[in-house]
Amino acid sequence: MITNIIQQDTSTVVDTLTKAYESKWHAANNLSSSSTIIQDMASHNLIFIVLGVTLIIWFILLFFIIRLDKKVGTLEREFEHEQSITETGDS
Amino acid sequence: MWFTMSVLFLIGLVYSIKYLNNPDPYTDLKALTANQVGVVFGFCGLVTGSMWARFTWGTWWTFSEPKMNLAALALTIYVAYFILRSAFDDPEKRAKLSAVYNIFAACTMPFLLYIIPRQLPSLHPGASGNPAFSQITSPSLRLIFYPAVIGFIGLAFWIMDIVLRYKKLQYEWEKDR
Repeated sequence: MITNIIQQDTSTVVDTLTKAYESKWHAANNLSSSSTIIQDMASHNLIFIVLGVTLIIWFILLFFIIRLDKKVGTLEREFEHEQSITETGDS
Repeated sequence: MWFTMSVLFLIGLVYSIKYLNNPDPYTDLKALTANQVGVVFGFCGLVTGSMWARFTWGTWWTFSEPKMNLAALALTIYVAYFILRSAFDDPEKRAKLSAVYNIFAACTMPFLLYIIPRQLPSLHPGASGNPAFSQITSPSLRLIFYPAVIGFIGLAFWIMDIVLRYKKLQYEWEKDR
């Protein structure tokens, strides 16, 4: 039952990648005789997975850089605070 | 991501050995930074690998897949490195012990990621007779993939440099007070 639904789903999905790259992609030339993994991958709309993967990578890196930015900001504020204390202490 | 992570952990290993050879606080900071950025990239690899598994194997996570679990274990070994660091107040002691621990951690890495997964039954490409990456991808895809690897390593170096400059400033700042 479940496998039926999955099969129906995958057959209705428009596969943009395979069509566009079929002539260039060597693994797609004899797709019917290739392994089940490749067949399964080609039947999904792969571009959304690619999109998801790249978005995950960029968001993790962005998060890391923003965290770093905040840390630098804290250090900067501490530094300015200390400087203002020494300036008022001197005068 | 795994390529970048491996390169960064290798850099961390080199700096840890360098630190034990010649104790310089900056070398220790370099090793720490390399490991930190390496863990970020490793985490990226784990999450995106999990997503890939969802669409090729139909599950986000499976405990029968050795490469997946051992990669997670490898990352926890590095998380333990940061916890070990936070356990010491004396910077010299911390640097020395964490350098020793890092050498151990970096030595487990090739076994956890490359040797053991190849000995066990697995669905992951490149394991137990499965076609490796170079065999299932087309040349035009590889033309994109390897420059992307180089690009991400470059990006990682840049991030590492920023983190290192921050850590150096912080170190000087804490020392003066």
